[in-house]
Amino acid sequence: MPEQDELVHLTIDDHPIAVPKGTLIWAAARQLGIEIPIYCYHPKMEPLGACRMCFVEVERMPKLATACTTVVSEGMVVHTSSSKAQKGRRGTLEFLLINHPLDCPICDKGCECDLQDFTQRYGPGGSRFDVSKRHFPKPISVSEHILLDRERCISCFRCVRFTQDVAMENGLVMEERGYKNVIGVDPNAPFDSIFSGNVVEMCPVGALTSKSFRFTTRPWELKKTPSVCGMCAVGCNVRVDVRVDKVLRQYSRTNDDIDDGWLCDRGRWDVALINSPERLRTPLIRRDGALEPASWDEALRLVAARFGEIRERQGARAIGGIGSTHVTNEEAYLFQKLLRAGLGTNNVDHFHGRFPAAGKNDLPWVWTDSIAGLDGATHIVLLGTETYTRQPIVDLRVRKAIRAGARVWVVTPEPQRLDRLAAGTLRYAAGRTAAVARALLSIVASEGLARSEGEQTRVTAERVAAVAARLAGETPERLAERAGVDVAALRRLAREIAGSAGAVILYDELATRELGGETLAQDVLDLALLTGNFGKPGAGCGPLLGAANSLGARDMGVLPDMLPGYRPVTDPAARAALGGAWNASIPSDAGHDYDAMLSGVVKGLYVLGADPVRHASLEQRARLEALDFLVVQDLVLSETAQLAHVVLPAVAYTERDGTFTNTERRVQVVRAAMQKLPGARGDWEILVAVARALGLSWTYLDPAQILAEIGRIVPIYSGVTRRALGMEGLRWPLSPTEADGKRALAGSPFLTWEMLEQGVSRPASAGAGAGGELVTPSGRSE
Amino acid sequence: MAETIDTVAHDEQQLPLGPSPKFVTANIDVPGIDRLEVYRDHGGYQALEKALKGYQPEQLVDAVKKSGLRGRGGAGFPTGMKWSFLAKNTGKPSYLIVNCDESEPGTFKDRMLMELLPHEIVEGTIIASYANGVHHAFIYVRGELAYSGVQMERAVEEARAAGYIGQNLLGSGFDLEITVARGAGAYICGEESALMESLEGKRGYPRLKPPFPAVVGLYGGPTVINNAETIATIPAIVRYGADVYAAYGTEKSKGTRVYCLSGHVNRPGNYELPLGTPLRTLIEDYGGGMRGGKALKAIIPGGSSVPFLLPDQLDTPLDFEGIAAAGSMLGSGGVIVFDEDTCIVGAVARMSEFYRDESCGKCTPCREGTFWLVQLLERLEHGEGKASDIELLNDICDNIAGKVFCPLGDAATMSITSSIRLFRDEYLHHVRTGGCLVGPGARRVAVAT
Amino acid sequence: MISDDVKQQMREICARYPEPRSGTLLCLHLAQEQEGYITPEGIAAVAEVTGSKRDEIESVVTFYSMYFREPPGRYVVNVCTSISCYLGGCDHLLAHLEERLAVRRGETRADGRYTLRGVECLAACGMAPVLQVNGEFVERVTTESADALVDRLERGETVASAPGAWNVLADGRPQDTPTVSGASVAEDAAGSGRQQGEKAR
Repeated sequence: MPEQDELVHLTIDDHPIAVPKGTLIWAAARQLGIEIPIYCYHPKMEPLGACRMCFVEVERMPKLATACTTVVSEGMVVHTSSSKAQKGRRGTLEFLLINHPLDCPICDKGCECDLQDFTQRYGPGGSRFDVSKRHFPKPISVSEHILLDRERCISCFRCVRFTQDVAMENGLVMEERGYKNVIGVDPNAPFDSIFSGNVVEMCPVGALTSKSFRFTTRPWELKKTPSVCGMCAVGCNVRVDVRVDKVLRQYSRTNDDIDDGWLCDRGRWDVALINSPERLRTPLIRRDGALEPASWDEALRLVAARFGEIRERQGARAIGGIGSTHVTNEEAYLFQKLLRAGLGTNNVDHFHGRFPAAGKNDLPWVWTDSIAGLDGATHIVLLGTETYTRQPIVDLRVRKAIRAGARVWVVTPEPQRLDRLAAGTLRYAAGRTAAVARALLSIVASEGLARSEGEQTRVTAERVAAVAARLAGETPERLAERAGVDVAALRRLAREIAGSAGAVILYDELATRELGGETLAQDVLDLALLTGNFGKPGAGCGPLLGAANSLGARDMGVLPDMLPGYRPVTDPAARAALGGAWNASIPSDAGHDYDAMLSGVVKGLYVLGADPVRHASLEQRARLEALDFLVVQDLVLSETAQLAHVVLPAVAYTERDGTFTNTERRVQVVRAAMQKLPGARGDWEILVAVARALGLSWTYLDPAQILAEIGRIVPIYSGVTRRALGMEGLRWPLSPTEADGKRALAGSPFLTWEMLEQGVSRPASAGAGAGGELVTPSGRSE
Repeated sequence: MAETIDTVAHDEQQLPLGPSPKFVTANIDVPGIDRLEVYRDHGGYQALEKALKGYQPEQLVDAVKKSGLRGRGGAGFPTGMKWSFLAKNTGKPSYLIVNCDESEPGTFKDRMLMELLPHEIVEGTIIASYANGVHHAFIYVRGELAYSGVQMERAVEEARAAGYIGQNLLGSGFDLEITVARGAGAYICGEESALMESLEGKRGYPRLKPPFPAVVGLYGGPTVINNAETIATIPAIVRYGADVYAAYGTEKSKGTRVYCLSGHVNRPGNYELPLGTPLRTLIEDYGGGMRGGKALKAIIPGGSSVPFLLPDQLDTPLDFEGIAAAGSMLGSGGVIVFDEDTCIVGAVARMSEFYRDESCGKCTPCREGTFWLVQLLERLEHGEGKASDIELLNDICDNIAGKVFCPLGDAATMSITSSIRLFRDEYLHHVRTGGCLVGPGARRVAVAT
Repeated sequence: MISDDVKQQMREICARYPEPRSGTLLCLHLAQEQEGYITPEGIAAVAEVTGSKRDEIESVVTFYSMYFREPPGRYVVNVCTSISCYLGGCDHLLAHLEERLAVRRGETRADGRYTLRGVECLAACGMAPVLQVNGEFVERVTTESADALVDRLERGETVASAPGAWNVLADGRPQDTPTVSGASVAEDAAGSGRQQGEKAR
């Protein structure tokens, strides 16, 4: 945070205000609730001063000032609506309107158009323009998703500055000049950026419109709900725009800590599944080999009866559950609770469940820092990632870091879109990510690059020795050879990491599933620890996860060996605490994992929002077909559902409340943006109904109640409530002030050495931990 | 300690170099003066030697301050002061740009200097670089002036071969690289920040100020930009001394400048004269008076971006203050003369087209306003205008002037508002009769009031 | 085709600047000399040597008036139409050339021989009206001298580079009869700074 002592005092429309040095008049006025109209200015981009809409009169300045480019000064007296300022704005609007077609009745932007709004508020009553307007062919398709109407364009430069300066991708550019000036695309450089849709949202007029949205509705018919995008693990904050029973688009609901106000095209427009006519509207039961519609009652009774039979005949270990990374924390939590407390088994896992070979307390599941922390990194190493397609808005954040001077290394088997902007690229043999990481660690250990100054004094000789011992016999050369990469290049990279002021090392969670990938998470963590890239902002490491609630599924214990909050099932104290809260006894042995459950060891399987057939081998598929009983709960009749005995229709994330936890540990509230599809139910409702059919006395009335229970009994989620999460979410572990509903002042927490040594999953003694960031669940759990 | 550059006595009674010295164009008619040997034979590069060997950079900045030299590109900002504003110790290299993007209608002096006296520009560039601690200077030559570009490049190469460019110039320890760059057709690139954008390989959009180029300029480094004529004057100031230069001209507009005389005069051309020379002297004595014995109707004294003057202002001195007091601007020194047969509406329409075509399109009032103005002027010129168009022109100009991003938009309004003020009758005549008041297209019949 | 040789020249141009992108305008001139106009290949080559995205280069090309985006005629005749030439009768000259060259202003003749354009001030206001043929100045043009010029172009002659017909003397007094070297066509114009022949097209 900037020093607050450099405040500048000024007066805007007779209201005194003090703002930090360097604040623009526009921003200062905004703080006072005074609107100054803008077109070219965008708070996420540098001031441009092109549109001349934001005129204000500043005393003792001879000319009108543009509020979006003029920085406040001490004693400044600003008038935003003096007659001189009004004339300036009227003039600009008249100029903008002389070539604007005024086809508002058929314009998609109608009612959310800045030109309409500002003309109404600041414009001339009529136009004196009685000569000929410019005409262009229209609309022009500029990309797969976007149409351009050049007559409506007011040349505000927002879109071209976004594609060129923010996205740094091929896209829209200014062409020609002066009055002939148009925006366009180079026919030989297609506008295929995954960030393209932002230009539609930021266009202040209807010049850029979305093909899918075009002519579908008038914006005032939309129901707009603040929520969180469910497309990937970034968790961008969105506004879900729904017309009757269809999601038409998502718009950004700027959260600077995550998305910086941007969305990717998948998040914006990929609503096909939610709106799919293939959505299930009734439970299905297999009768005589075919799935047929059934009532909820019948389906639920059948599920309870069949699981009951299997448990009775073959024991609880013959039942298993495969969970999902797409359902909410509440649902993930209930799912494993149903398996553990209701059916008495730890056989619960999900496809991306395993992060093997995690050291005790070392938390390899989590990104030690945050998305916003990338802004302060001097080096970013992307190891085996495909951020552009898998976590697009993280990719965009990396681009922001590049603009700020960060050196980015793209270390991947295949070329990436980021390569062009990278300080360095390294290619290695597909499937050998772990060898690359281990080689880097080995170089750091063998070249004596481990640092131990300041906070890094915690890099003890023992830790270095432990790493050396683990890597014994594996030279950098041999590891590099295994990875199929030049060892000299790796040495350069390792030295850069070791010498950086702040490096962030990220890898894709998929890489941990590669052959030999079980060492990856620990090696990367040690690489960060030994090079001093831990426990401070703008540094760190961790996995980039794939799905909207990939981390939440783990946090909630959809794992065979971990209870919610990463407490081992083998830990009697953890079992006792949880069992007490649940009023149930939890089996003491680790359950079967995902692969085991597909190998025939279970007879009854409950698949929640997953589609294992898609990843299954022929043998695994045969095992699934041979199950005594298979329940699948999903939106559509997935490949796995087609094998099921019972199919339960669930709803999309836009149809229910809950929370997701994103890839940087941020727990965020997802809100129902529309009515549930008739006949389908929320996953949590289905789970409650199944539990009650099994004879459990679950009484959850809404997801908030489930979240409250999670906040009470899952230590890392201590203090999490809907109220505390607010509109922007909080990153676990919450500080005590955050849990009390106050925003932390100093930004998001990064993991500290205390957490590493003591473990965030352990209830700390009161007052322990630097910065009070350790979880203190005492007094909260029953 | 070296002798200071300004030791020559300032004697107002006796001008040191006679009444009309040529600081810039003294040797312009020497055959082959564009070649290094000939230029050297006529004293070329002696000023450079004097500067490098005898002076500290700050002394040179002081001398240029003392000379009173003001920028010859149009704005007339004191050159020495501009130099002294250059930010020091920013951690980034400083740059010098010589603005040879001459494009102002009515102005053709820089092209002449580049073609005939390229070494004078190069010598001035080297001295200015030394004075400003610049190690890489750029000479940005207007794209259309191919021959000028060739001349500048060759002069730079000759100077390099002679050891005036490169490492450790003349044993001074000073290193300098000079690169000749070319534009590609855009008037706006004469604006200093647009020029920097263009020099960085981009579209020539003017940049937001502040930061000013002296602090954040080319490649983000502190940058001095001087016009070609300004730079070409530097060797003479060093050679003769600041006081000698300052002995000419007026109190606030010192020295000489090259006036570009064009339009309806007998002898159009470039004339280097002391500032403060009356317009009448330039037009009548040097220009040989009005062509064909016609009467003078109007004068534009500083390129098409400045307001008109009338015949009764012929005794106005050609200096920044004198012309300003008369209601116009000295600008680039392009003096355009209009005779009695010129239809002002047609001429203004033509000048306005220039600004419409050359507007970069960045800011709304300039982009849209010049488009609208030209449509109105053309409709007036073609006899289809309305009386209300005249006030509309004035109000559009008011919505442009002072509200645009850079001076181009302001410039576009100058001839329009001043001509409406001075020649409203001609506009009204076009409205009433559909034709011109004067000249070959005159339509007098319908004037019945 | 942008040859390897030209690409090498482009790289050398870019190397003269602290940042290669500064070479963009010169490299585009070079590409245009090579191919006659700015082709997609030219843009690709300039993007490559300057380290730019090609849409950025495309955007730059369209800003500047000297880059042709379709093949121009063998002779590009640019007639200045700004104020001083306007006062000197350029409109009449341009109309005359339209007729003589059988092509309208702003267009290229169907046989690809001439492109005729009205352009903004060429910094030759003292020698108005003025035109350029393939970038070389021809000053104080009358309809008669324009016809003579076209006759020579028809014979396949070229206009050579030479200094303008500057009529300024050291004593500030004008010459009575200015030299017209700027209008010398083809013949010996071995002036001291003569450019090498016609640019490659």
